[in-house]
Amino acid sequence: MSKTAKVTVDGRSVDVPDNSNALEACRAAGVEVPHFCYHPGLSIVGQCRMCMVEIEGMPKIAASCTVPIRDGMVIKTDTEKAHAARNSTMEFLLINHPLDCPICDQAGECKLQDNAVTGGLPVSRTSEARRQYPGYERTDIGKHVIADMTRCIQCTRCIRFCEEITETGELSFIERGGHTIVWTHEGRALDNELSGCAADVCPVGALTTKEFRFRKRAWWLDKTRSVCTGCEVGCNIAVEHKDRVVHRFIPRVNADVNDFWICDFGRFRSEELNEQELFRPVVRGKETSWGDAQDAIKAAVDAAQKDVLVLGSAKLSTETNWLAAQLFGKHLGANVEFVVDRGDRHRVKNKKADGNVAGWLEGYEAAPNSRGAEAAGVTRGGDTGALAAVLTGTLLPKVIIVLDAAFSAKAEDPAVIAALRKAGTLIVCSRRRSALAAAADVLLPVGGVHNDEGTFVNVQGRVQRFDCAYIPPPIVRTQLEILTHLGKKWGLFDTRWTARSVFEEMRATVPGYAGLDWDSPALVGSAPSASPAAPHDVLEAPAKGGLGLPALQEVGS
Amino acid sequence: MSKTPVPKGFTPVHSARFGKKGSQKLAGYEADGGYASWKKVAKGWKSGDFTPAKIIDMVKASGLRGRGGAGFPTGLKWTFVPPKEKRGGKPVYLLCNADESEPGTFKDRLIMEEDPHQLLEGMLIASAALDVKHAYIYIRGEMVRCAEVLNEAVAEAYAAGYLGKDILGSGLDIDLTVHRGAGAYICGEETALIESLEGKRGHPRIKPPFPAVSGVWDCPTVVNNVETLAAVKFILDNGPEWFKGMGRNEKNTGPKLYCVSGHVEKPGVYEAPMGIKFMDLLALCGGMKGGKKLKAVIPGGASAAILTAAEVADLPMDFDGVAAAKSMLGSAAIMVMDETTDIPKAVTNISKFFAHESCGQCTPCREGTPWLNKMLKRLIKGEGKRDDLDLLLQISNQMGNGMTICVFSDAAIAPVISGITKFRDEFEAYLSKAKAPDFALAAPAEVTPKVADRVAEGIHG
Repeated sequence: MSKTAKVTVDGRSVDVPDNSNALEACRAAGVEVPHFCYHPGLSIVGQCRMCMVEIEGMPKIAASCTVPIRDGMVIKTDTEKAHAARNSTMEFLLINHPLDCPICDQAGECKLQDNAVTGGLPVSRTSEARRQYPGYERTDIGKHVIADMTRCIQCTRCIRFCEEITETGELSFIERGGHTIVWTHEGRALDNELSGCAADVCPVGALTTKEFRFRKRAWWLDKTRSVCTGCEVGCNIAVEHKDRVVHRFIPRVNADVNDFWICDFGRFRSEELNEQELFRPVVRGKETSWGDAQDAIKAAVDAAQKDVLVLGSAKLSTETNWLAAQLFGKHLGANVEFVVDRGDRHRVKNKKADGNVAGWLEGYEAAPNSRGAEAAGVTRGGDTGALAAVLTGTLLPKVIIVLDAAFSAKAEDPAVIAALRKAGTLIVCSRRRSALAAAADVLLPVGGVHNDEGTFVNVQGRVQRFDCAYIPPPIVRTQLEILTHLGKKWGLFDTRWTARSVFEEMRATVPGYAGLDWDSPALVGSAPSASPAAPHDVLEAPAKGGLGLPALQEVGS
Repeated sequence: MSKTPVPKGFTPVHSARFGKKGSQKLAGYEADGGYASWKKVAKGWKSGDFTPAKIIDMVKASGLRGRGGAGFPTGLKWTFVPPKEKRGGKPVYLLCNADESEPGTFKDRLIMEEDPHQLLEGMLIASAALDVKHAYIYIRGEMVRCAEVLNEAVAEAYAAGYLGKDILGSGLDIDLTVHRGAGAYICGEETALIESLEGKRGHPRIKPPFPAVSGVWDCPTVVNNVETLAAVKFILDNGPEWFKGMGRNEKNTGPKLYCVSGHVEKPGVYEAPMGIKFMDLLALCGGMKGGKKLKAVIPGGASAAILTAAEVADLPMDFDGVAAAKSMLGSAAIMVMDETTDIPKAVTNISKFFAHESCGQCTPCREGTPWLNKMLKRLIKGEGKRDDLDLLLQISNQMGNGMTICVFSDAAIAPVISGITKFRDEFEAYLSKAKAPDFALAAPAEVTPKVADRVAEGIHG
């Protein structure tokens, strides 16, 4: 373990790791020194000159991020000289900034805006014309990113990101001095697997993503902790949504998994969550109630007498898979299996991925939770499992229940659908209209991953919790609800069960879950940050379970 | 090339061979006693007659101070390099800063063009003293002729066995490379020079760590100016006492090349003992051009504060002497201005240079230097406003003194502050001529042209 040093910040004494810099020491003491170019995931360049503080024994004012701390250091952020220096930097940054906050997407989560509100001069002393950048405004510089140099404050976070994190180096300073622009190298585009993060790290509106531009004002967004379902890495994300519409994913800091980043593939899957197409249960072509649908299922399953195949899913929570395994496998003796696609490689950079050396954390499976599904007691199928047998025609179950219509790319294959259709009764849970949903005898409308909570087990074997952004639209249910209701029909489950109570129930038997606490920081991860540009500036939100509602004992207390 | 005059009783040192036929060639250099010290060092290396400590002590005893601008004691700078056992196997590099780009400076160019071997010999001695296996000369890109002459000299030195492996049987291995920069002023700042040598943009680094501990490729590095390294050769030739014998006092010693330009009869490089009085130097240059009256002097390149005629009347031109007058000797680039000079225009011109050359790293400098330039341009166009002079001073004060990574912005504000405070009446005269201010937005917007357009126009630089 690294040693600590005692530092005094504005009269407050604090112990910090001895490899910290003065800015980090101030943060540890609860003093936020305004800054732009400092980013905890990137190297220190000390060039925005915003984080100026006074340090006892140093003759000149210093940029706190560039000063390594030493034991006994006395840092003063609240002196006249320090304020004057920071106000001065703000003035310099604003003399050429377009001040177009009303039409800027970054407004509300902009470091320049924040620092102008909390400090800086109340007046503008310049009467010179502001710098303009014809040809470098609102320009498409890559697959996902749009650049507008008029807003750039030349902090080089994006340049450093592309050099140090993605190691692709598309961006650079071009020209010099007041004419400096940040742009892609001649003939290159900002196109790397994490390019959306370049817009994240941008503290102002110079880099924005095409997907989020003009969608929603940042201050309207509700932020829910979640885990990316794009692959098995399980990057921590915040689902940012408003009025039951998901607008974007932003990475949540997790030093053990995704650090400050997520890949473009994962980030831009957010729109899929808005694609709810099915709203009512359907039994043999007729819209019906949940009660009738459940009765139909129970009748079919009872009649089949164990000759049932239940397809769980690596895209569903461990809790949901566990309920399926308990009800259909353990109690009814059916085959409960899942298959997972081995897809393209997706990866994210982590400072300590390889021991303590920076490296990539890679995922190949196209689902977030194959390890959790397996731990929950669902059999991992493949070339030889029950599903494979159904597809080759050697197995013909009377009832097939597909818990997730998007369980695999196979679900869109007409040959697969035809094979599944051979079952006497085909029961499918789906969000969207699809050939498989159309083929079902019983079609159950379900919500998405953001409509439920639960846990996933990622590629490292780490159990991570995701929260519910908002409950599904009426009368759509989650798979967990469907299973608890079905379980009650056999007298096994209680309809009041939530993911949390299931989690607590299954801890005793599911490998890797013993002793875990639903609310522990290890499961929950960090809170969503106030702004993607300030990942270290997390919102103070207590870890809570239960569909975002306070736990019962908190009500009235 | 004609011989430039020197003060009475002074024998030229650096410039002794300037203008001599074949002065660049090794044969001529050796005929004039060149490489004698290097041979002595090489010969005495194995026997222990010459040790790094001995050379460093000689340089320390000579009182040699860096000729590049800051005037830091050279011997002391050398002692900052960690001893071998603390370097963790890392090599030490010697970089010769030949990125001579301070406006008004042209002394290093003459050394390199006229007598390159004195620099090479100085670098060899310094390399031996500092345990350097590979030394570099980082030369300003525009100085093509210098680079050619130096490269020829280096080839000659290799051929003669003064450079290379096991030099003159001493067991010393020293290589030397001439590296051409791309012509950025900031690359004269030692850490920007290091970045540039590494192949990156010339951006000054955060200090500490200082180059002596972590410089080029993270290895201990010593960066010295051309004239400084050349002086090392002469200290070895004649001894530290001889060197110390020149100069005004203990702290300002040795011969010095002064670059005099502006309104003098004969501008050029003049060699004189350190601390020559300004008026004596002016006399060497043939006095003021056309017999006009002296108005102001920039004593050390564009980065130095402007001095008035009264301030230079009895000014010794050395590091401490000029510093006492609240300016700096810098690279000894002395720009003389007569009574016809328009100080606001001169200051505006200097500010244009700094706005153009700011590297763009730190906010105060990147934004401040063009702001100063825009205001000054507006002022001399007759569009100044009442508060402009105070605002110029306030902005200048916001840029210096630790607000930036390097001292570029301190340099950029020195002429502005000194110009306005010492010649305020001239600036106010522009204000009184000012027209009624236009509506601010009517001013044409400043535009960053596309790189391609700038290339096409031939102004890309």
